[in-house]
Amino acid sequence: METELRIEARNLLEKGTVKSIIGFTKGSLKFTTTPLFIRNPDDVHKLVVNRFIKNNLAKYLAEVKECVGIVVKGCDSRSVVSLIQDKQINRDNVVILGIACPGMIDVFKVEQLAGCDRDLIDDISVSDNVAIIDFGGRRKEVELSQVLYDSCLDCKCPVPTEYDLLVSGLSHIGRNEDVGKAKIQELKRMLPEQRWTFWKEQFRHCIRCYACRQICPVCYCERCFIESSEPRWLSPMAQWQHNLGFQIIRTIHVAGRCTDCGECERACPQNIPLRSMVGEMSDLVFKMFNYQAGSDKNAPSFMAAYEVTEAEEIFR
Amino acid sequence: MAFKKTAKNNITKLMTAWSHDFKIMVPTRKNSVIEFGDWDGKDVDFWVWYRNTVVPPKVFLLPVWEEMIRFSKNNHGWGLEVPGSEQKVLIFGVRPCDARGMAIINDVFKDGYPDYYYDIKRRRTVTVGLNCVQPYDSCFCTSMGIDPAMSKDVDVMLIDAGDDFIMEALTDAGAKLLHGEFIRSASAQEVQMARSMASSVTGKIHRKLNTHGLSEKLLDRFSDTELWEEIAAKCLSCGICTFLCPTCFCFEIYDESFKKQGSRYRGWDSCSFKLYTQMPMENPREEKWKRIRQRVCHKFEFHPINTGNFACTGCGRCIRLCPVNWDITQVIAQITGTMDSSLTEPSKNKV
Repeated sequence: METELRIEARNLLEKGTVKSIIGFTKGSLKFTTTPLFIRNPDDVHKLVVNRFIKNNLAKYLAEVKECVGIVVKGCDSRSVVSLIQDKQINRDNVVILGIACPGMIDVFKVEQLAGCDRDLIDDISVSDNVAIIDFGGRRKEVELSQVLYDSCLDCKCPVPTEYDLLVSGLSHIGRNEDVGKAKIQELKRMLPEQRWTFWKEQFRHCIRCYACRQICPVCYCERCFIESSEPRWLSPMAQWQHNLGFQIIRTIHVAGRCTDCGECERACPQNIPLRSMVGEMSDLVFKMFNYQAGSDKNAPSFMAAYEVTEAEEIFR
Repeated sequence: MAFKKTAKNNITKLMTAWSHDFKIMVPTRKNSVIEFGDWDGKDVDFWVWYRNTVVPPKVFLLPVWEEMIRFSKNNHGWGLEVPGSEQKVLIFGVRPCDARGMAIINDVFKDGYPDYYYDIKRRRTVTVGLNCVQPYDSCFCTSMGIDPAMSKDVDVMLIDAGDDFIMEALTDAGAKLLHGEFIRSASAQEVQMARSMASSVTGKIHRKLNTHGLSEKLLDRFSDTELWEEIAAKCLSCGICTFLCPTCFCFEIYDESFKKQGSRYRGWDSCSFKLYTQMPMENPREEKWKRIRQRVCHKFEFHPINTGNFACTGCGRCIRLCPVNWDITQVIAQITGTMDSSLTEPSKNKV
């Protein structure tokens, strides 16, 4: 997979089709990768493809003003399409290097299974549908689905919807909605009062670092509503009510554009289960309007489109 | 001061005694996140699993947000009230890196004019340090001149000695804690043994940050736009690295009022944010690379020039919590031209 990608990346750079390539390279910590920006064709050997390329690189497209190549997984490709639909980027300026995504490993789940932190795990490897975890002289073999991200287990289209080159090699283990939606279902089963207590407690821990917003590819507003001071919609102080308010509004703002890539939840240093909010929103959008974010670049953007038939009685 | 010791299974009783005077904060796990939380009075054994918290203990001196004044209008005019508590707080289990972080922030708030809100919390806070036994792979405190086995920046320092903790009071406030039936004297030999056992931790820290001539090198490359743009490329401009840094202290102030009453708050702010210092005119650092440069240069150039100390303790939070693995040790290596090639070579990952 890597070889194919590197050859194509070299071609694109050498021919001058793109000025740079945005991809992944080995990270500085175990089991991590990090975004990589390549301009020099001789650097393409740094590109990696593995089960730890969790970031959604579409985030960087809004910043780039030149023609670029970008490495995307299924969900990321839909974010790129979302950006095209929203006219944030021009399709002609992006060469999409798609990866048929095999599902990404959630190191946090591996930590839970091993009972130790990431850096104390010696190795994580995959053989067919089995994940092999080596730690402290011990080995544990579990079904692969036990260590993939919830968002990956719940993924409707691991293969990019839009691409110029498709790299495949590892097949996705398939959808497992029960596991992928377990957290959301658990919340849905709660009584409203219990759910309220749950979220209140979660958002007491929010520190307003805005990592959830900053990492979100479709949070591209020049100025976020939370930063408006005239009028001031919500307090900039990290009080739980306002933290929750911020996240609810952000969730609605990304409706129809959120591809449930899970980056907001992964980025949160306080482990607030944000995917339970945005994931549920994506589901609602799909169920109510049969609209899946980023599946068609020619479709109108969700919030900007309106059909009389879909309106509630009061608007008709 | 003389060394004391206490058996680990006496810690609960000791904390019970302390809890008459202090609200006690201990490492707790909530949501799989480690934080200093209220001690619930039950037996503790956090030293078995505790490595470090996500939010550093600076939060007790400079909370995420706090109310500064409360104002309201009555028949006689405007009334002002300063909310706040006199409750003394004891933070149990502060790591040497974070203790140094608090000392660095202390220097800042001592400078110029006293900060009432900071001082009141500083005075009512007592820290009990605990030696580090299992550093993360992101830790590089030894490069920043910190001994993970020992701290002089706390009120009482504890060293894990198997069944006991060796205890040393470093301040008067600390000395007041070390008496009563659960505290014994420790012999010179016991102290020596515990120290030598604890000092082996430095061998577990492999990450290095080369500080040799760093301030000067940063000054040299200050105007190298291309370098800074490259360094900043993957940064998301979120607040994780600054908010969770044990030495970052920036805050913003915000007034909120409704009808005839309101409050003035202050809360954490970050130089990573586009709107940082946007009041009242403009942000001098509109571009991302300028904000990144500010953060790096503040920690390793401006702060050392002003105080003689780097504003970094090598706790590694900014590395391990960064959503895109922006790594300060790599960045400094890039600036000083001492990049370790093993970090840039592609992975041989089997997955």
